[in-house]
Amino acid sequence: MSNSILVVGGGFSGLTAALEAAEAGYDVYLVEKESYLGGRVAQLNKYFPKLCPPTCGLEINFKRLKTNPRVTFYTLADVTSVSGEPGNYTVEVTVNPRYTTPQCTNCKPGEEAASTEVPNEFNFGMDTRKGIYMPHPMSYPNQCVVDPSIAASDEGKAIADAMPAGSVDLSQQPETVTLNVGAIVMATGWKPYDPNNMDNLHFSEFDNVVTNMMVERMASPSGPTGGKIVRPSDNEEPKVIGFCQCAGSRDENHLAFCSYICCMATLKQITYLREQNPESEIYVFYIDIRSPGRKYENFYAKIKADEKVHFIKGKVADIKAGNEPGNVILVAEDTIGGGRVEQEVDLAVLATGMQPVGAESKISGIDYDQDGFVVEKDGIIPCGCAKRPIDVVSSAQSATAAALKAIQVVRRAG
Amino acid sequence: MSEYTKIKPDLDFVKGVMDAGGDTVNRCYQCATCSIVCPLSTEDSPFPRKEMLWAQWGLASKVSGDVDVWLCHQCGDCSAYCPRDAKPGDVLGAIRANAIKYYAEPKSLANLLSTSKGIISTVIASMVVVLFVALIWSFVTGESWPIPKGTVEYHKFLSVIPIDIIYLSLAGFVAWVSYKGVTRFWEDISKGAGLGESYTGTAPRPALGPLFKEYVVPAVKEILAHERFKKCGAAAERAQGHLWTLWAFIILFIVTNLAMFYADILGNLFPNSGFHSPLALYNPIKILGNIGAVMLIAGIWMLKSMREQKTEEGIFKSSAQDWNLIWLIFAVGVTGLAAEIFRLIGIRIIAYPTYWLHLGCVATLFLALPFTKFAHLLYRTTAYVFQRYAADVKAGEAGFGMELPGEPEEEH
Repeated sequence: MSNSILVVGGGFSGLTAALEAAEAGYDVYLVEKESYLGGRVAQLNKYFPKLCPPTCGLEINFKRLKTNPRVTFYTLADVTSVSGEPGNYTVEVTVNPRYTTPQCTNCKPGEEAASTEVPNEFNFGMDTRKGIYMPHPMSYPNQCVVDPSIAASDEGKAIADAMPAGSVDLSQQPETVTLNVGAIVMATGWKPYDPNNMDNLHFSEFDNVVTNMMVERMASPSGPTGGKIVRPSDNEEPKVIGFCQCAGSRDENHLAFCSYICCMATLKQITYLREQNPESEIYVFYIDIRSPGRKYENFYAKIKADEKVHFIKGKVADIKAGNEPGNVILVAEDTIGGGRVEQEVDLAVLATGMQPVGAESKISGIDYDQDGFVVEKDGIIPCGCAKRPIDVVSSAQSATAAALKAIQVVRRAG
Repeated sequence: MSEYTKIKPDLDFVKGVMDAGGDTVNRCYQCATCSIVCPLSTEDSPFPRKEMLWAQWGLASKVSGDVDVWLCHQCGDCSAYCPRDAKPGDVLGAIRANAIKYYAEPKSLANLLSTSKGIISTVIASMVVVLFVALIWSFVTGESWPIPKGTVEYHKFLSVIPIDIIYLSLAGFVAWVSYKGVTRFWEDISKGAGLGESYTGTAPRPALGPLFKEYVVPAVKEILAHERFKKCGAAAERAQGHLWTLWAFIILFIVTNLAMFYADILGNLFPNSGFHSPLALYNPIKILGNIGAVMLIAGIWMLKSMREQKTEEGIFKSSAQDWNLIWLIFAVGVTGLAAEIFRLIGIRIIAYPTYWLHLGCVATLFLALPFTKFAHLLYRTTAYVFQRYAADVKAGEAGFGMELPGEPEEEH
């Protein structure tokens, strides 16, 4: 029997669930597969509808985490199996090496010694990083990572030599940790749906077809373009931008469900673009604009009032090369005005949806539905986007609820 | 209160579409992916998104006035990309099946021929009629009935005069029903396309000369080459079998007419001149006829295999009507060729019944033209013609005063 709670996933939901439970007096293990906490929220430029930076919300949670001794967290860690019953679960966790020590907070000397550059996945491959890197400027823990692919190579040794003594430790090995917990909160979150799956949108063929998460990274001051949204083909500022809603969502060939956030994300990104260039012209191709609730509806109304933003009711079903170099043409049927529309744009943004992580990587001992969302059962409580597609506010609420349910489970069992 | 239109849904129409294979219609949420992925969809009037909405809402008059449902060759691309699995391709197929019934008169024949039982009954009924006529004819010729003696020559059973009496009157009936259906269809699609009415209150129709020269000939040329069908996404392979079948029908139609002239007219005018049927195997008409028969069997077999494969892959659904027509055409081809082979071998006992069965199948196929899926020959061709004509009328190029009233010029 155990009174501790395991939280799988250290994004906004996982952090919230872990802290709420810990602050109520329970010991919590937080397991995160990336090298930093904060998850997808760490990649965002602004929240909708307040348009404030997500870093402040994360900062508050990190501060709570630092001051709470009850939370033990692992990064670069995978839960490999779950067994047992409510009140008494045995969980196997593999903790992968970071190859650095906590005092390693500045990678500069190591970066200079590193030779290979790999696409930076944090920025969706829009820039590169070295074999030793800080995941992102605000990352928590604020500790460098050595890429495991070079840890055993000469390049790894060169990096270790260049860094201050005692900060790089290439001898680290993966460790297996066995945890005994009373309840499990699943906060494994989501990943952007792969736009290559929609063969009619030709994502890989055109440089200037990007995803909404790529726009988010470009708009971020810490992103690959220093906060400017540009066309990847020539780094020029786009004047005419097209948004393709429901790119893969509400589609039985892809994600059968509505991803909930893409409409609001597009409306938010329109504010980035209109602010960046008041001359810019925006075309939004949609099936329905879903902006639930009074705050979101008001936000939509504000964007709709902008005469430079055009909403066309019809899903983009084909993207082809434009007449001007680098441009693309979005093809859809305007179901209200009638007729086929071919809109040439400088930059096309695919509003791709949220695929639950469970769709592709499942943990043995956890139940998933056909889409990959975690199915709740006594003692295993999903929250955030592991449960259903939701925004950050709702994720925090569902995480708090999950924390309470987890507490109930351990109290009942104990 | 802003202006609004009250919609009167025709629920029977919706039910008819759903029963005919369009049961997925209500899944559609109008994203219009189908209208863009369709390789045949047009710029000004994309389909099948709007047809899905009309079918859901029971707007029967909108659908009946819509020429676009006939421009679809059911490749299934729309269904493959449909995010709701609403299968627009199947829905349009169901709408076409209903339209054929709607334009066919009398309805009782359309209902009879819509089932395989009905088709078999029609074949049997036709055979009874043929047998009865043959009995009467045997008194004229003095041949024994039902299986004449001596070498197998089918004119002994039923010669050209009674055959012409049966089949020409049948053809006349079919032509009349077809004409009625096509003209009603033309009225509806003219209204649907907003072409306005002529001063007599009917839909504008081009005069016969321009109709043929400007519209029918180019449309038929396009059909003979299957230009559009071949563009039709996943169904491109299906076009091959269809092209063979169509050309086989054309060849057999020509052969039948030549044979009628050769044997029926010349043969009867000059009884002992060798113009008699059966024609010799080296006679060019006979050679052409045999090529047509083989092409018909091969073409329909290709269509059957392709339909089976596509149905199995879930690209489209196949209804009883689809299979009935395929098997009926197959039966016509096989019985015809078999009758010829048995005649050549000289097995009387099998040859005459086979020929008798063949006559029954042919009569049923004749009758099927305006009443079954076979009517796509009429309506799709009309749609191809109309599409050209409507475009000209809208562009003000159709001549004969049928242009739409344009914007009045501003007075200065």
